[in-house]
Order: sequence, then C-alpha cells, then structure tokens
Amino acid sequence: MGFLTVLRKMKQKEKEMRILMLGLDNAGKTTILKRFNGERIDTISPTLGFNIKTLEHRDYKLNMWDVGGQKSLRSYWRNYFECTDGLIWVVDSADKRRLDDCRAELFTLLKEERLAGATLLVFANKQDLPGAFSATELQEILELAKIKTHHWKIIWCSAVTGENLLSGIDWLIDDIAARIFTLD
Amino acid sequence: MSVVSEQCKKLPNKLLETIANKKVITPEDVLRIPYITDTYLCSPDANIFEIDFTKFKIRDLESGAVLFEIAKPASSENADDNTDKADGEEAIDPNAGRFVRYQFTPQFLKLKMVGATVEFTVGSRPVNRFRMIERHFFRDKLLKTFDFEFGFCIPYSKNTCEHIYEFPSLPPDLVNEMIASPFETRSDSFYFVDDCLIMHNKADYAYNGGIST
Repeated sequence: MGFLTVLRKMKQKEKEMRILMLGLDNAGKTTILKRFNGERIDTISPTLGFNIKTLEHRDYKLNMWDVGGQKSLRSYWRNYFECTDGLIWVVDSADKRRLDDCRAELFTLLKEERLAGATLLVFANKQDLPGAFSATELQEILELAKIKTHHWKIIWCSAVTGENLLSGIDWLIDDIAARIFTLD
Repeated sequence: MSVVSEQCKKLPNKLLETIANKKVITPEDVLRIPYITDTYLCSPDANIFEIDFTKFKIRDLESGAVLFEIAKPASSENADDNTDKADGEEAIDPNAGRFVRYQFTPQFLKLKMVGATVEFTVGSRPVNRFRMIERHFFRDKLLKTFDFEFGFCIPYSKNTCEHIYEFPSLPPDLVNEMIASPFETRSDSFYFVDDCLIMHNKADYAYNGGIST
C-alpha cells in the first residue's frame, strides 16, 4: 500500500488541504509525489506542466500539486498559489552548483502575498546520493533562519528510498491543521 | 463522499433540451441533469483549447497492480503542428474519441481503494479554470459525481491528475444487477474552461468479463 495508511471512512466533514510542491527542475518533486502514493518511480520524465494527486491521508483530503520546475515554467508558478495551505520546497541536496539559484527562487516565493498563510516544508532530498549536503548544512546555505513570515521546517529525505517522506508530510499537515482547523 | 443518491425521478426531456440549446452551458446546468444525456451537449469544435486526453490509468492501491491503462500513440502528442492535429478519425466519425467502452471483471466492483489517472495535453493558449465534472449512473441511478477544478493549465503543457479514492461500497443486489446488465453503467464527463462547456465525453461499463454466458 505504499505510504498510505489504512483509511477510515470519514464521518466528519471532509477537511481539505491544498499542498503545492515546487523547486528547481530535477529536484525530485514528481518522484516524491509518486513515492508517497505508492506508485512506481522508474519512468519519471521532466514535468512539463503539473501532476496532481488527490488522496485521503489521516482523515484529511489532500490535494497535492507538483508543478514543473524548469526555468521556462517558473513564471507560471504564480497561477497555482491561490488557496495554498502548505508549500513543499524540494531541494536536490547534491546539486551544489545551483543552491544560490535555489535560495533566490525560494525567497521570491516567500514574498508572494497569496502564499502568506502557507506553512513551508523544505525537503532536503536525494540524501541517498554521495556528497549530498545534510539538512543542517542546507539550512545554513539557504539562510532559512531568515524566514520570519512563515512556519517552516527542513527535513532530510530520499524520494528513491522513501525515507522520511511520511514524517515530513505529517509535520506539514499537523502544522496546517493546528492553524486552520483548531476552531472545529 | 455520498455513494448512491436517491433514485431521481426522470425530469421531462425538456430540461435537457433547454440546456442543449443554451449558448453557454455551465457546471450548474450539467449538475442538474439527473440522468445520462442521450446526446453530446457540445460539438467537438467547442474544444478551442486543443485539450487532448492522452492517457487513462486505473490502479489498485492495495495490490499496486495497474488494472487498466490506455494511451494514445505518442505521435498524437506532438502539439507543434496545430493547424490540424492529423486526426484521421475525425473525418470519419465526429464523435470518435469522445466515447470509451470499458469491460471489467466482477472483481472490479470489489476493489477498496483505486487511483484513477488522466493525462492531457494543452494547445497554444493558456487555459483558465479548467474543471471536470464526471457523473456515473447505473440506469437512472446516480452512483457518483466527481467535481474537480484543475485550475490553470500552461500552454503546450502535459499534465496528469490522479484521484485516489475509496471505491463506493454498493449494496450487493445493486452490484449483481450491474454485473448482469453490461453497459447500463454509464458516465458523462463534462469539461469546462471559465465555466463554459468545451468538451463532453461518454463512457459505458460492463462488469461481466470472464463470466461465461
């Protein structure tokens, strides 16, 4: 069943969350999405548009959006900001040459008004690769401590082995839920 | 998710006629139709955005098995020539490609959790507020409505969407009837851009595969 836990029939009103996954091209966004949903990851090609998954996880209805990260597509990212509850920023921890680019794109996003209310999860992906920066190192390099406008957390993971994907997404869901569903 | 709606009384066909004659058909219009339509509510030409469905896939989340997969040949995915998408079928039957027939075994109705994926490409124009409404009926009984807004689609993009959902738990006598009545389970898929109907596809389903008669 992949990472899907056994789903109970939801009695209460469906609680929906919209999660947007962005990052530079080749960061591993689609692989994370597929791995999380128990799908095969052996035939993934660059995303030239979006991949959406809607699923139920821990009694929440998650709408997960993965939008292509190539430079030519980044100007379209803003079309997907509306109503986003959680932002997952995926980093290729072994792509050392592009970390400046990675940081710049992230901080541009965080200025977006329509993402102002979103929780930020940074996935330090590709930890299975030799020479990958650790999450602690990336936190420094990406200057995450400067982020005061959003709840954020960086978590290491490997989309290929599946390690830590679930704990990252569960943290994101818990943080969103604490913000938006506390009045229930 | 509601599973089986109340049996709807058939409204006079006037409703359908009124809707079919409208210049712009909206999501509200199709959500009011309590049965399968007997015609397509828009012409194939209404798809001015060149939205093209290139793949359908259904998988069983419990076993991980792909139960069904159909993909258009890769050549039709080339969007570089948008004067004519070289759709030879179109000259023969304008509704070719708007209808799919699915044949499943009875086991299909016993699945617990499935993932249904569509893949589609978009032409040269940006698409705003792309929305799908899919209505599944057995005879005149509404089994399920999917209503999902994809939102914006990037020009020349290729996109996928997988809905992972718990299969509706249908009463056993209904299941038996559906197995015994091939192709009386049917669906209408309506696609909207900016709340205006631009595509209408149909499918029907049999669940008696592998049963010798």
